[in-house]
Amino acid sequence: MYINRALLLAIGVVLIFLPAIESWMISSETHWYRPYQLWLLAVVATWWNQRSRYTDEL
Amino acid sequence: MSFSLTQILLFIIAYLSVLFAVAHLADRGIIPRRITQHPATYVLSLGVFAGAMASNGVIGMAYQQGYTFLLYYIGVVLMFILGTILLMPLLRLTRVYQLTSMADVLTFRFRSPLVGTCVTVAMCITLLPLLALQIQAVADAIHILSGEATLPSEGSGRPNRLALLFCLIIIAFSMLFGTRRESSQQRNTGLVTAIAFESLVKLSAMLALFGVAVFQVFGGFESMDAWLLNEPRVHAPLEEPIHGDSSRALLLVFFAGAVCMPHIFHMTFAENHDSRDLRTASWALPLYLLLLALPVLPIVWAGIKLGHNLPMDYTGLALGLSLHSTAVSGAAFVAGLSAASAAIIVITLALANMCVNHLVLPLRPLQLDGGSIYTQLRWIRRGLIAILILAAYGFFIALDGRQGLTQLALVAFTGVLQFLPGVVATPYWPSANRIGLLAGLAGGLSIWFFSLLLPLLGSPHPEVLSSLYRSLWGTGEILWGSATLVSLGLNTALFSLISLTARTSEEERVAAEVCSMDDIARPTRRTLTVYSAHDFATRLAPALGEATAEEEVSRALAQLQFSREENRPYALRRLRARIEANLSGQLGPAVAYDIVEGCIPFMPGDSGRTEDIYLIERNIDRAQPHFTGLAADLDNLRRHHRETLDKLPIGACTIGADGEVLMWNLSMEQITGVARNDVLGSLLDTIPAPWNQTLRAFLDSSEESSLKTEVVMDATSRWINLHKTLMQETGNGDSVILVEDVTDLEMLEEELLHNERLASIGRLAAGVAHEIGNPVTGIACLAQNLEYEEDESEIRHMAQDILKQTGRVTRIVESLMNFSHTGSGSGETELAPANLADCVDEAIHLLTLDRGARPVKFSNLCDRELLVLADSQRLLQVFVNLLGNARDACDEYGEVKITAQASEDEVRVDIEDNGCGIPLQEQSRVFEPFYTTKDPGEGTGLGLALVFSIMDDMNGRVQLVSPIAEAPNPGTRVTLQMPRTSYGNTFQV
Repeated sequence: MYINRALLLAIGVVLIFLPAIESWMISSETHWYRPYQLWLLAVVATWWNQRSRYTDEL
Repeated sequence: MSFSLTQILLFIIAYLSVLFAVAHLADRGIIPRRITQHPATYVLSLGVFAGAMASNGVIGMAYQQGYTFLLYYIGVVLMFILGTILLMPLLRLTRVYQLTSMADVLTFRFRSPLVGTCVTVAMCITLLPLLALQIQAVADAIHILSGEATLPSEGSGRPNRLALLFCLIIIAFSMLFGTRRESSQQRNTGLVTAIAFESLVKLSAMLALFGVAVFQVFGGFESMDAWLLNEPRVHAPLEEPIHGDSSRALLLVFFAGAVCMPHIFHMTFAENHDSRDLRTASWALPLYLLLLALPVLPIVWAGIKLGHNLPMDYTGLALGLSLHSTAVSGAAFVAGLSAASAAIIVITLALANMCVNHLVLPLRPLQLDGGSIYTQLRWIRRGLIAILILAAYGFFIALDGRQGLTQLALVAFTGVLQFLPGVVATPYWPSANRIGLLAGLAGGLSIWFFSLLLPLLGSPHPEVLSSLYRSLWGTGEILWGSATLVSLGLNTALFSLISLTARTSEEERVAAEVCSMDDIARPTRRTLTVYSAHDFATRLAPALGEATAEEEVSRALAQLQFSREENRPYALRRLRARIEANLSGQLGPAVAYDIVEGCIPFMPGDSGRTEDIYLIERNIDRAQPHFTGLAADLDNLRRHHRETLDKLPIGACTIGADGEVLMWNLSMEQITGVARNDVLGSLLDTIPAPWNQTLRAFLDSSEESSLKTEVVMDATSRWINLHKTLMQETGNGDSVILVEDVTDLEMLEEELLHNERLASIGRLAAGVAHEIGNPVTGIACLAQNLEYEEDESEIRHMAQDILKQTGRVTRIVESLMNFSHTGSGSGETELAPANLADCVDEAIHLLTLDRGARPVKFSNLCDRELLVLADSQRLLQVFVNLLGNARDACDEYGEVKITAQASEDEVRVDIEDNGCGIPLQEQSRVFEPFYTTKDPGEGTGLGLALVFSIMDDMNGRVQLVSPIAEAPNPGTRVTLQMPRTSYGNTFQV
């Protein structure tokens, strides 16, 4: 299977905590960049998940 | 502050010229490959997603709906982060089968040219709003930069001529960019590098505007925060939660757009040359989009703070105008220009390729006498690019400025969303069929057309439509969200229901299996009607022209690293598949399938039920990194068994029912000297001699084993044991053959035989010396007498005596020579009629030479005329060993009798002695090598073992009975059974 189990787990966790994440994101009047922080976190997590694949899998 | 129209147009031409130069330098290799082939270049080229919507549209969206604008980016980000779900399976398909567009993929999956045609037409229509968006963004920007502080209102005349000029310029550059390569399947390095350069320019311009907004307009981040606190109306949209039907629909359309949009599909799949690049893109593209999205909100706020009359979509330009800064205006214009031009070039290129493959070629076959088909294709693509951009311009005129950039983008993305069910079904739903797909598309696109596209154009009865929509779903944004979800829902429902109820064709089922990501494709072993790679070009020539056919065959051979002399069925099947894939990249999968099916068909009646085990194993090996859990365990088990087979010290090979070699382990390589890679997939009859005849003869025989089969390799004899078994449960009649090399054993046996013979000679040596010594002494005496003898008759008489004595010596020496050289070296058993009694006499004579042995009485009672089928020299060895043993077992009054009884086809020889006999417990071991009951130094233990071996070679048998009489001399009887023959008989060696 191509689908990464860690990825499926991450999707589940995000779905569960989505309301809390959204509340935190819009709760501040000056921290307008909070969505970008979450975005960056997702980028780092994805990089971490992909870093060990060295070969052309096709 | 304003620019003249000429200045702006010259700037556009200069900018596009720079792009063209970048592409040219990349194609020529002047820009180093480490840059053009770097994953970062690929990732940046995917930035083509961010068209004018990213440089302009999202600013207006952010102004009205706060963080909702992020959904435009997050849709794509999610698609790439979850890339393993949809992108990797699609990449595998597009790479293996040379599919360059979504129409190619769906045509390949549903095996229907009609699907390709429908998808292409629908895609062209749904993309018109997106192309018009790009044209509108640039035309409006030119209009603003040329000195207009506001845009003209609806219907009062848009900058249409500016747009037309821009379109003509971009047509010229799109033709140059997109058709530089002859073949659409080759990676367009120049295009990728140029689009990556555009993405960098776009990002730099947006970050520059970010810096201007934060530091020049607000004076820094803290001041901006303070301003935000004092402007609740600005901050209010940011406090609205991002959910609701419209937001979900937004996320869905942008998620789908990341794979369904033809320009993104083209850059993601057609221009990818390594799956690792896509994995890099899964985090690097989100990072790029993050940097691109970061400046949006500060730019919006800076626009609000400065106040301007322009639509918020053009806030970047407004900043420049308000600050009276040419650089800021230029940066904003460059951001929009680079985004729009990149999107137009790649969209039209991708659509032109789809049109060529699915509209032009099926309707108008290429002219084989009209020059290279590649040149024809290039000109067709150029014409289509011009038509598509002019059509987009026509759509832009028809819009007449009634819609903002965001509305255009949403309509286009919603149209493209309708292809998502088909794309998802390709790797995940093998039951989907073409009727369901077309029905779903028709349903979804109908809703999209009537609810979104017609209102966009201001349909003939807008009021009627508006009231209808309002009564159904609401208005404005709510209408869009509802229309999107309803169209997709209807599409999916029709697709699913009809796929489940309508019949799926056999070829669709096979294609679904190939595309399915849960199953490894199970290729079948079908027989082709061509027998060598040479024949392919000849067969393809009527469809492609001689030169193109030759070129395609050569290309496929080079890709597969096969030679032109290749004739293995397995290799020819792969060559056929590769040619079809390559043609698919050129002409689309439907046309390619028709050409290959027509020119290089499989044998009629060959349904292909036999799986191509070798190819399946290769595919599993390549897919191994994807296995987890039980699949990984099974794969490990498979590898273990494969290694066991490979490392087996006995040669093993599997031959298919059609004679194809399916397995050839390492021992087979060593035994036969034929490399596995040369023989796998070949027909058994075409493998190197002598193995083709040997294995074929054994395979065709009814025997399950063949022992000590002689094979001559390089003028050297080798002996092998062959065993075979039929695989009836899983192998569809395949046979497994085991080959055991017994050459060493055979040689050792020969050597032992020879050694035993020499040992016998050693034992005879004393007797021989005595036998020869007597006549020599006699000769010496006669010679002495001869010196003084004068009587003529006496001398003659003495000479005859001497000759008699020398004859005696000669006979002894001949017997010894004959015995010592028996069969040595050749190892061959030559069966021929042999006189049994003569052979026994010769053995007795040899044994009587041994003066040290007991003087037993030998009685040869065999019929003097009896003939046996045997090798006389080896038979002599048998009798010497048996009679010698019998003599050793007897005392000085011993007697050994040799008798023979003949039946119709067999002779039975009994050798009986009245010796000490053999104890019962030792009888089962006396034929084992090195087992002896004699004292140390008197016997080698090999005599009876060799008797057994020789008799076996001569198709005879040997038995032993003891005792045969009462004590004290129980005696032993050894019985030999041999085929009987006569001189007139024919016999088989």
